[in-house]
Amino acid sequence: MLLRGSGEHDGIDYDLDAIIGQGATGDVAPVAHAALLSAYAEAFYESEGGLASVRGRIADEMGPGCLIDAAATVAIFDAVVKIADATGIPLEDAKAEISEDIRGSLGIDQFPSAGSKTGAG
Amino acid sequence: MTANLAANLIDYQSAPVPVREDLVAAQRRAWARLAAPGTWWDGATRVALAAETRQALSCRYCADRKDALSPYALDGTHDSVTDLPPVLVDVIHRVRTDASRLTERFYLDALAGGLTDAEYVETIGVLATVIAIDSFADALGVARPSLPEPQAGEPTGDRPVGAKPGLAWVPTLAPEDMTDAEAGMYDGMAAMNIHRALSLVPAEVVGFFDLDAVCYLPDAVLRDFGTEYRDLTHAQIEFLAARVSAINQCVY
Repeated sequence: MLLRGSGEHDGIDYDLDAIIGQGATGDVAPVAHAALLSAYAEAFYESEGGLASVRGRIADEMGPGCLIDAAATVAIFDAVVKIADATGIPLEDAKAEISEDIRGSLGIDQFPSAGSKTGAG
Repeated sequence: MTANLAANLIDYQSAPVPVREDLVAAQRRAWARLAAPGTWWDGATRVALAAETRQALSCRYCADRKDALSPYALDGTHDSVTDLPPVLVDVIHRVRTDASRLTERFYLDALAGGLTDAEYVETIGVLATVIAIDSFADALGVARPSLPEPQAGEPTGDRPVGAKPGLAWVPTLAPEDMTDAEAGMYDGMAAMNIHRALSLVPAEVVGFFDLDAVCYLPDAVLRDFGTEYRDLTHAQIEFLAARVSAINQCVY
């Protein structure tokens, strides 16, 4: 939702399909360097050894500070999702309502944990 | 080992790029807190929880269970590196390796196995803190910090009297139910549900979200889309966060 809010502030309709690793559909814009950031997140969770290469590309193409911010974001959300999943904490009602269309279109309501967090499933 | 010695284990001198000082400082605070007596666990137990958090990733039973159609389809024994009770090892290993398939049954089984609700919450707080620091090192391509030596002392045993069941599987503390004992717990936070998830153990809320504010963004600037506070833009941070959540099959 904050990504959508950021887009509304900038007058940009961001490609939210990229969040679930799919290509854009419709008249939408990618977040700058979205493919590289997505590759970083994917490589972090894979064991094929591609993380070092993506890390180097982020530092080279986006800058060292961006690599630190990206590592910190991946790290903290890797932890936050565990808190959410382990405590059964739901989305706020307002957030669940506002994000209903996005969750449905992106298939997020099909996630195993979605039922207890959104009222879906 | 003193808190300062524990904190000094966080050192990014060998990192491929300079690490922000606020990040280093927050991680040092977290590492010192890890080693110290908590609310329900002493320092030795908290450090043991951290060791199991790391061990879970190489546990054969966890790997087999994650591949199973149902997490309840397999019986087995965890590859443990501590003398923590089995119920605690199972909580740590399962949350670390298969969190997206957790249900309230898992939480209730942990209580039936002998954990209290507050011990469970503190365990999740320790696990999340260790993951945040280890994953940062992994993502950056540097060695994870050594675990600190535990500090002596007794847990405080402070339980918020206003905590109530209902919002989540675990009891939580709403801002309107706070007493002077929990004053300041939500300072700098919007007291959203994710903040309230650990609120049965206020020290874990304060500690984890101290780290969160420097890794992600402080709540006060989350919607300040007109100003960028990091090298990544708001949109890039939110995109990456959402991508991580989606990979983890988490709605957050």
